[in-house]
Amino acid sequence: MAAGEFRLRICYGKKDRLRFLSHLEVSRALERTARRADIPYAVTKGFTPRLKAAFGPALPVGTAGEREYWDIWMSRYIPAEEILGRFEQATPQGLEPVDAAYVSEGLPSLSAACTIGVYEVVIEGERLTAEQVQDALDGVVADGEIKVERKGKTKVFDLASSLPKEVQARSYGQEIRVSFTIRMGPQGSLRPETLVYVALDSAELSGAITCITRTDTLIEEEGGMRRPL
Amino acid sequence: MTDSLWGQVERLLPGVERPARYIDAEWGAIRKPECDYRAVLLYPDTYEVGMANQALTILYERLNSIDGVAAERAFVPWVDMADAMRAAGVPLWGLESFEPVRTADMFGITLPYELTHSNILEALDLAGIPLRATERTNEHPLVIGGGPATFNPEPIAPFFDALLIGEGEEAVTEIVAAHRQARDAGSTREGILRALAQVLGVYVPSLYETSQGAGGRIVVTEAGEGVSATVEKRVVPDIGTYPTPECPVVPFMDVVHDRATTEVLRGCTRGCRFCQAGMIYRPVRERTADDVVRDALASLRCTGHNEISLSSLSTTDHSQIEEILRRLANRLDGTATTVSLPSLRADALSVDMARIVARGRSRGLTLAPEAGSQRLRDVINKNVTEEDLISTVEHASDAGWHRVKLYFMIGLPTETDDDIRGIGSLVGKVVAAMRERVSPDRRGSVRVSVSVATLVPKSHTPFQWEPQLPLAEVERKQVVLRESMPRKGVELSWHDSDVSFLEGLFARGGRELADVIENAWHSGARFDAWGERFDLGRWRDAFAAAGIDPDEQAAQCLQPGEQLPWSHISCGVSEKYLLDERDKATAAETTPDCSFEACTGCDACQDLDVDIVLGGERRGSR
Repeated sequence: MAAGEFRLRICYGKKDRLRFLSHLEVSRALERTARRADIPYAVTKGFTPRLKAAFGPALPVGTAGEREYWDIWMSRYIPAEEILGRFEQATPQGLEPVDAAYVSEGLPSLSAACTIGVYEVVIEGERLTAEQVQDALDGVVADGEIKVERKGKTKVFDLASSLPKEVQARSYGQEIRVSFTIRMGPQGSLRPETLVYVALDSAELSGAITCITRTDTLIEEEGGMRRPL
Repeated sequence: MTDSLWGQVERLLPGVERPARYIDAEWGAIRKPECDYRAVLLYPDTYEVGMANQALTILYERLNSIDGVAAERAFVPWVDMADAMRAAGVPLWGLESFEPVRTADMFGITLPYELTHSNILEALDLAGIPLRATERTNEHPLVIGGGPATFNPEPIAPFFDALLIGEGEEAVTEIVAAHRQARDAGSTREGILRALAQVLGVYVPSLYETSQGAGGRIVVTEAGEGVSATVEKRVVPDIGTYPTPECPVVPFMDVVHDRATTEVLRGCTRGCRFCQAGMIYRPVRERTADDVVRDALASLRCTGHNEISLSSLSTTDHSQIEEILRRLANRLDGTATTVSLPSLRADALSVDMARIVARGRSRGLTLAPEAGSQRLRDVINKNVTEEDLISTVEHASDAGWHRVKLYFMIGLPTETDDDIRGIGSLVGKVVAAMRERVSPDRRGSVRVSVSVATLVPKSHTPFQWEPQLPLAEVERKQVVLRESMPRKGVELSWHDSDVSFLEGLFARGGRELADVIENAWHSGARFDAWGERFDLGRWRDAFAAAGIDPDEQAAQCLQPGEQLPWSHISCGVSEKYLLDERDKATAAETTPDCSFEACTGCDACQDLDVDIVLGGERRGSR
């Protein structure tokens, strides 16, 4: 860190229509928010100075997020609550900040530290029940691994490692909501929708995902998981 | 009003590329749900191309500033989305309200250039609006066009209820007022169109008689009763009256020209004889340095962009450009914000300016000598000498640039193979001059990109009567050029000559081409401006079905004095001036720029009752 810079961590949501944004689109939108918010952001050194910021793990296009994170460096200390207020005024609807606090410069980057994503997947299907979905998912998990084809490459995910907690399916009216806690790896992470469709296929059930949300992004430590803020 | 289409659109998004094109919700988007007049403004290409368009930004702001008027944006959905919409029965909608375009009062369409014509039909069809104006009733929105390609509106005229010729800042307000009044008075469709035709600059194609003119082109022969025989373009006398929109919509997507923009001046009177923009945007009108700096900073603050572009046809000609650049550089210091200039003239002054904005960053420099010999540069009135060009690239090399991009054209009137070879030898001299100036260990990094286009003779230019080069001849000249081009350090690229061929046909055609456009669209033409989608064969079939030989039409030499398809459209520049310029071209005589020197008699200021507006005295190479 350059002397006199302050690392601010902001928790934000990626909601509603804006779930269709890509990670790059979100990061650019947040940088623009910072510029509009009239805050003393720090800039990088070098030939093409940029606003100094770093982002947490990417969310795919179409997946919403309730607690996503980014770090932005300030060249001057301003109370976090005040910055949060300025951000709220400058943020497009759907990317609102939730919380902000200064964090130590010595912490590892968000992208390295955040290894756990908690997801909720909403499924709809005629005569589909939560019990059927639960059984189908348990069946896939019992297989121990899952092969995923993406962009012509095959990846094998070890489910014991990828799913540190149990998968749970529940009924809410017409919807079935499934919650997943997924461990993200440096070589990419298992997508919850992949697991859902593999499970439905293998159990010969028909259903469609209507919404996927990462409800929490967590840091895994000895003895448990915690939020970055 | 129907229920919002969002729910239906949302279901299509997981299956299409780049859904951010369709979701709205950007910073700066204006929503006015309680309005009695709704206009949808369409750019006939994808979101990421259209969002770079300044006219759309300006008109969106102007219309939304009117009480009771809501203006929304629309773009042409990419092929995957359009197919999904048709399959699901979802019509084209206005982005801000997710209401169908079909239920709007006005559907305003920009005509940026000829290759987007098929997309206009695609948009009308997706909206569920009949393609031809004659098939529409008061149940449909008023379909009105504007933009540079309206200066020869005829090939596309049957698809429009009305077209605005010229600048829209003031005219749109009058158009909406006339339409609202006629609508509220319960006028018939024809009554509404007649009311619109009274607005200066508005052309209503259905109110004019036509007949077949020379070379099979359909020309306008007579204006209907109470309608002006010549439609004169609208022009804003002082663009300072309308500050650049401060808070335009900020896209989420990575769009073309993803930055804030301030228009520093309008018009260019350098007088290049091939250039339509140089004729139709006359006269030159500058914003003052104070206004430019104010607008640029305000726009950066409101949008959060990290780059501001100072746009115009010839930004470095602005009389106060150095002051503007210095003031912006000072104000933006330490904010990681850059200033960009769209194009540069080949002179030392321009390089100095580029250096101010580049601040040590090694972006390439782009220069446009356009022709390879001095004689031919005089023919086209491109007042750049070989010495200018060489000293400019030397200066640029001294300042740290190792990459230069050069634009040239082939197919110019009077052009010989020697002129073509002249491009090769000029490029060779540029490469040698740059190598000479950079340190020996960096000579290998000197790169000159050469981009070559084929002349497309355009209406309202001194070359409007000239034939287009046949495609076989274009190919032969490309071989001559390739053989004369030095290899080392040079990257040569071409504009697709098939695309230029079609562009030229629509640039000078008449209403007979409307059937061609419709035929081509029916057989799948859309996004013709996208290389991977363009298919000349499909267009040739569309011409054949309409009984027109495109090669013959392109090769026609039009005759001065005869009625042309665009003769009833005036940009203020007189035919006499164009003919004088044509004669001077043949004699390789040049014409100076009236914003630097005395009036050259194009008649635009007199015809349009306007004058040149400068922030100070212009200086520089001339």
